[in-house]
Amino acid sequence: MNVLTEVLSPSFLLRDALYTSVVIGLACPVVGVFLVLRRMVFMGVALPQISSTGVALALSLHALGHIHLEHGSFDTHALAFVGSLIFSILAVTALAFLERRRVAWNEARIGALYVLSTAASLLLLAKCPTAERGWLNLFKGEIIAISNSDLKLTGGAFAGVLFLLWLFRKEIILVSYDRELAMTLRKAVFGWDLLLYLLIGLAISVAVIAVGPLVTFGFLLLPPLAVRPFAGTMRQFVIASSVLGGLASVVGFVLAYHWDLPVGPTDVALLGVVCGLGNGVQWLRNRALSFR
Amino acid sequence: MSNISHNPPWACLTDATVGYDGRPVLAGLTFELPRGRFTAVVGENGSGKTTLLKTLAGIVPPVGGRVELSGANGEPPVLGYVPQRDSLDPLWPVSAFEVALMGTYGRLVAGKGAGEAERQLARECLAQTGAADMAHKAFSVLSGGQKQRVLIARALATQPDILLLDEPTAGIDPETTIAVMEMLSRLHREKQLTILMVNHDLPLARKHATDVLRVGDGKVSFETLPNPGVT
Repeated sequence: MNVLTEVLSPSFLLRDALYTSVVIGLACPVVGVFLVLRRMVFMGVALPQISSTGVALALSLHALGHIHLEHGSFDTHALAFVGSLIFSILAVTALAFLERRRVAWNEARIGALYVLSTAASLLLLAKCPTAERGWLNLFKGEIIAISNSDLKLTGGAFAGVLFLLWLFRKEIILVSYDRELAMTLRKAVFGWDLLLYLLIGLAISVAVIAVGPLVTFGFLLLPPLAVRPFAGTMRQFVIASSVLGGLASVVGFVLAYHWDLPVGPTDVALLGVVCGLGNGVQWLRNRALSFR
Repeated sequence: MSNISHNPPWACLTDATVGYDGRPVLAGLTFELPRGRFTAVVGENGSGKTTLLKTLAGIVPPVGGRVELSGANGEPPVLGYVPQRDSLDPLWPVSAFEVALMGTYGRLVAGKGAGEAERQLARECLAQTGAADMAHKAFSVLSGGQKQRVLIARALATQPDILLLDEPTAGIDPETTIAVMEMLSRLHREKQLTILMVNHDLPLARKHATDVLRVGDGKVSFETLPNPGVT
């Protein structure tokens, strides 16, 4: 109880890390709902990894002296964000074009992209120990290292992403659920797909910079997967996923602080337990129904 | 091939080729589809009837030739499209009402949500198709016939000039098939709604449609029925 009071206190030393974690916990599942419903879960794994390859490239170029910065750590973060954003946007734009040409973005391609981007990251960083240390911290989900500027960037970016998802929810849901109907209604299907992918790319870039690919993937996909069996409408699905992600981020932070564990993996493990419980309840419910 | 009625056409095909990814399925199509008719497109599996429907719906671009659609006022007609019901992913947690409401989205500008007028229209369309009592059920748990009623309600919510249906009775029991076909006949009769329906059941099509467009061996041929609805 003392730990909870300490963590939730406004004077808590790691409050920026906690607030960023909560923002990501609340917002990532809303984006993840579309990855789950469009059956792009593997893309949810691959995109954060591709995004972190962009970070690795940016940090390596900086460490090797190809990019010069003048204002210390904030600029290094900004550089990493630019790298992450460029790689994410390139990947989602390619995805949108391939989908338009009806080229299957199948599991094999996504798997290949995942391992290649991981290998590329490791090779890029092999000769740059400084950059490698920063990237590995990112990869492990060292949330406690988050600064106030990270919090502002994360909060601002996710506010924009969530606002656009809310504003254009009708169009995005229509083209995602029944693209043939959307075409007969003369909606700009490619444009709405592209907007959704760009929002996903932006969300992933920002989250990867703040908490790394592991935690980003965890918050994108585990809350929607845990909640889906119990949601009857889109509104319920989105809100329940977001609330679960937000709660998990706070509880995970408290547990990690109490037991001196890394926050990111603790959050993901906690979400995994909730996801397992949710699926267990669903299994028992199905069994009970089949016996009636 | 000429048209089959004196009504002005809503679709005009001139030496059109339809298919997927540049591969033709039906070629050299030249015909007109008149307004105010209930036309059944009939043929074997793989004959190209769904490809033809999707081309007319604007979902698949023609491989060659011209496919022109015209509404009553010279503008493109409003299409009410009923896909094969299994094409909709059951993973989506959407209610029957939410599905029907999607039909109203064509009239709404981007960023504007559905208001009370659109909600009322969706409720009325569900009532017209006998699906009002399932409005708040999850679409994925409905039976085949119930889903079909909801999808027809959604197509009606577009307030269509033309109703396009892809195999509306495939995989549903004979009793529900009769109910769905009688509902379509009633909509055609009472609302003077133009209907183009893909179906593989020729006797069923002959019983309810005013015209039959037979597709097979890469060709199409028309059959105008003298007195639909009489068995």
